[in-house]
Amino acid sequence: MTSDTATGARVLVVDDAATVRLYHTTLLGGAGFAVNEAANGLEAVEAALGTDFDLFVVDVNMPKMNGYACVEALRSDTVGSDAPVVMISTEDRPGDADRAYQAGANLYLVKPVAGDRLVRVATMLTAGKDDVA
Amino acid sequence: MGLVRKQAPQQPEEVAPERPPAETLLRRLDDPDTDLRREAALGLEGIAEAVPALLARVHVEDDPRVLESILITLAAHDTDEVAGSLAVHLASDEAALRTAVAAALATMPRSVPDLLPALLAAPDHDVRVMTAMILADLPHPDAHVWLLRMVQDDPHPNVVTGAIDALLPSATADDIPLLEHAVQRFPDDPFLRFTVQAALPRLAGTA
Repeated sequence: MTSDTATGARVLVVDDAATVRLYHTTLLGGAGFAVNEAANGLEAVEAALGTDFDLFVVDVNMPKMNGYACVEALRSDTVGSDAPVVMISTEDRPGDADRAYQAGANLYLVKPVAGDRLVRVATMLTAGKDDVA
Repeated sequence: MGLVRKQAPQQPEEVAPERPPAETLLRRLDDPDTDLRREAALGLEGIAEAVPALLARVHVEDDPRVLESILITLAAHDTDEVAGSLAVHLASDEAALRTAVAAALATMPRSVPDLLPALLAAPDHDVRVMTAMILADLPHPDAHVWLLRMVQDDPHPNVVTGAIDALLPSATADDIPLLEHAVQRFPDDPFLRFTVQAALPRLAGTA
């Protein structure tokens, strides 16, 4: 599913929960981003092989390929994406953020993430990408 | 003279490869070759004596395909012993392990219900979030009721939003008051409010 604007930076929202995808897509789409969705890490990698995204918003706990493995795959030579990655998870135990950064994430946020914060973070991380879509 | 159907040429009968003895397969669970470990895990299907070794292997297996095969074989047993031993991993620091275990438990409708009181009362709210993931896919007639209970009673907003996400595909207009109550319980949670508000029009149409 794609929610796009004429000039927004391209974001891939990766989450197995349909409600979370809808929430993030609505927030980011409303702020002018062109948003695609993937329901797990495998779908995200597949999407990233065909599209140069400017930002990934990735959940941790997902079937088929979890968020950490997804980010590692995005950073691998196969995909080779250096686009910023924001991981968002319910997991807030010690070490989760470290694990995310080891995998290649730029930022680790714990749910719930306020809408304005997510948009602000996405805007900052994609600064200069406004005319790519 | 009537037509005589030609005899089809005789095909050599396919012979299924013989399964190695259980002792061999159990040894192969520790083999450095991931393909051998995966084949061993799948080959131990239906062998109750292999359950302890397979459960032990879950703790140390680091190859996701092998782990998946082990869990497929274990989940087929659907016993209290297997479910209880797997549920421990819902609190794992390894995302791949806890999500794979949750997926396996979601295919165990005979044994998981007895675990639910403990899982729903787990002090670690992340375990309760994983429990909502299990209930989302558990083929059990009471799964909906347990999710309703989580939405109504759980004190952590992430658990409640997880339960709502799992509940929505089967929710009806009857569930609207409970969802609205959840929003009132967590007025500062924007995602929970958004999720419920987005779902209400559809649910109202199910009355």
